[in-house]
Amino acid sequence: MSGNSGGPWGGGGNRGGSNGGDDDDRNRGNQQGGRRPGENQIPEIDELMNKGREQLRVLMGGGNGARRSSGGGGGGGDAPQFGAGAVFLGLGAAVVLWGLASFYTVKPEERSVELFLGSYSSTGNPGLNFAPWPLVTYNVVNVTSERTESIGSSGGVRDDNGLMLTTDANIVDIGFQVVWNVSDPTKFLFNIRDPQQTVQAVSESAMREVIAASNLAPILNRDRGAIASTVQESIQAALNEYDAGINIVRVNLEKADPPGDVIDSFREVQAAEQQRDRLQREADAYANRVVAEARGQAEQVIQQAEGYRSQTVNNALGQASRFSAVQEQYALAPEVTRRRIYLETMEQVLGGVNKMILDPTLAAGGEGGGGTGVVPILPLNDLLGKTDQAATATTAGGN
Amino acid sequence: MRKLTFIVPALVVAGIAALSSVFVVDEREKALVLQFGQIRQVKEEPGLGFKIPLIQDVVKYDDRILSLDTDTIEVTPSDDRRMEVDAFARNRIADVVRFRQAVGEGGYKVAEDRLQSILNAQIREVLGADQVTSDTILSADRRVLMNRIRDQARASALSLGLDVVDVRLKQTNLPSQNLDATFARMRAERQREAADEIARGNEAAQRVRALADRQVTETLAEAEKSAQIARGEADAEANGIFAAAYGADPEFFDFYRSMQAYVIALKGENSTMVMTPSSDFFDYLYSGDYAPNPQAAGQ
Repeated sequence: MSGNSGGPWGGGGNRGGSNGGDDDDRNRGNQQGGRRPGENQIPEIDELMNKGREQLRVLMGGGNGARRSSGGGGGGGDAPQFGAGAVFLGLGAAVVLWGLASFYTVKPEERSVELFLGSYSSTGNPGLNFAPWPLVTYNVVNVTSERTESIGSSGGVRDDNGLMLTTDANIVDIGFQVVWNVSDPTKFLFNIRDPQQTVQAVSESAMREVIAASNLAPILNRDRGAIASTVQESIQAALNEYDAGINIVRVNLEKADPPGDVIDSFREVQAAEQQRDRLQREADAYANRVVAEARGQAEQVIQQAEGYRSQTVNNALGQASRFSAVQEQYALAPEVTRRRIYLETMEQVLGGVNKMILDPTLAAGGEGGGGTGVVPILPLNDLLGKTDQAATATTAGGN
Repeated sequence: MRKLTFIVPALVVAGIAALSSVFVVDEREKALVLQFGQIRQVKEEPGLGFKIPLIQDVVKYDDRILSLDTDTIEVTPSDDRRMEVDAFARNRIADVVRFRQAVGEGGYKVAEDRLQSILNAQIREVLGADQVTSDTILSADRRVLMNRIRDQARASALSLGLDVVDVRLKQTNLPSQNLDATFARMRAERQREAADEIARGNEAAQRVRALADRQVTETLAEAEKSAQIARGEADAEANGIFAAAYGADPEFFDFYRSMQAYVIALKGENSTMVMTPSSDFFDYLYSGDYAPNPQAAGQ
């Protein structure tokens, strides 16, 4: 493409051969108008075109020479007969060459900018375009295709360029991509010399500015999206200030991490956060378990008490009723009933009890006083030893 | 025929002369027309220009915004923390005449060198100014500083015929010797944070546990209280019932209840009784007669 655009200029250079010293200046301007600033091999093309024109001239000159030689030799004016074929051929070739230099195509993603004698005349749309050489020159610019500048570390590549200093004097490793295209091909061509380098430098500056105005922690997490959009606005504003005709499509903040040297410490913090969470959850689990148990236990105690209440009251009612019933009958025949109850009770009590009946009159200090002097030995220990439970030795004295 | 042989070369010469007396200035360019080194014409607008062939030369300069990146320099803000700074400038040739006068035939290369030294000087001056600390550079005031550098550089670059469109700081970093110390500090900060997290976790856990334990104790105590109240009420009620029933005949109650108590208290195999035959129960066992004789006689 730049070869095409250089073509007419090569012609111009040839035409202005007297001031050949300026060729360099013109070539620089020309070639940088193309899409790739920084390449400087246009002189070759220039030379090529010079040669082409030289050959053309030889062709024409050949025609002239033929005419001249015929004029010199024959001395007549019928040279055209002889030279007509060469002249037509030459003219035809010239027209074809002119056509090749003047017609050009613009692809769908491109626009062309046409200059009439150096000043802007029109913008060409996709399709076949006509720029009559040498009056009109053109530059084709790829407009809609997205171009990407990567800054800082991205992917697996570590790059110290991505290390940026934050407000709190921490260092963060940033990697991002700026995607851009051309919004205005004329401005893009006419206003800045190194578009790609400009985007790169402005992007880096904008990102560093945003990072330098922020603390580390928010950069790492919650502000990521905000940073990308702020940077995008900032880049766009700067480029608009330059009238660069460049549109920033988006900024991808690929990486905003602590530097590799300290990232382990950040992971430790994450682990600690997890641990904190775990400790809390364990405690919650404990609390849930213990409190629920306690509630159950409390309920048990209360229900037991209620049970006791019911039991006690009912028991009392039962006993009272039983007593009342017995007492009613007792009141009818007190003497007999009393005796009967006594005997029945004794029967029951003494029936199952180990008994030992001692006649006090046999004992020394017995009731009778004048006993036989027999001293009964009570082997209380033996008696008690029979049972391991606390046995009761009861002396049933008189009444 | 003679005429023709003269006319053709004459036409050719005239054509060459005509072509070399016009020149085209592109949208991207500005041109100077020089006559033996003297500036005769300034052409800043694009289009066709005219000059005298052979005598006059055209020099063209780029009219677009040009870029310049400065080298990394170390600056010392007023808080004496050194920083590595680099910047880029966007500039364009504003005044071709002055530009030509300032840089001569060296062209933009020479101008670039001069601008570079202007920028370095201005960066040092602005960033080393009294009120400017490294904290200022690392803050939203950075923009203000950049604008100040730009304005000062613009003033200085006017003499070069250059218009400084923009100056922006790129890197503002610590010197690499300080990096390790910074990393160490960052690590220490993280460790502090990690320890803090764990301690807070323990704190929270302990609080939750203590609260739970307290709740347990309270719940149980509450329940115990209710239980005791219930039991007390039950006992009271029972006492009331007993009192009402037994109060009808206390003497009989005494007897009757004693009898019941004997049965329960002297139950079974675990009791041993040592008795005298004088008990009422043995009235008949020892007396040997059937006459009622409450006083048991010895054998």
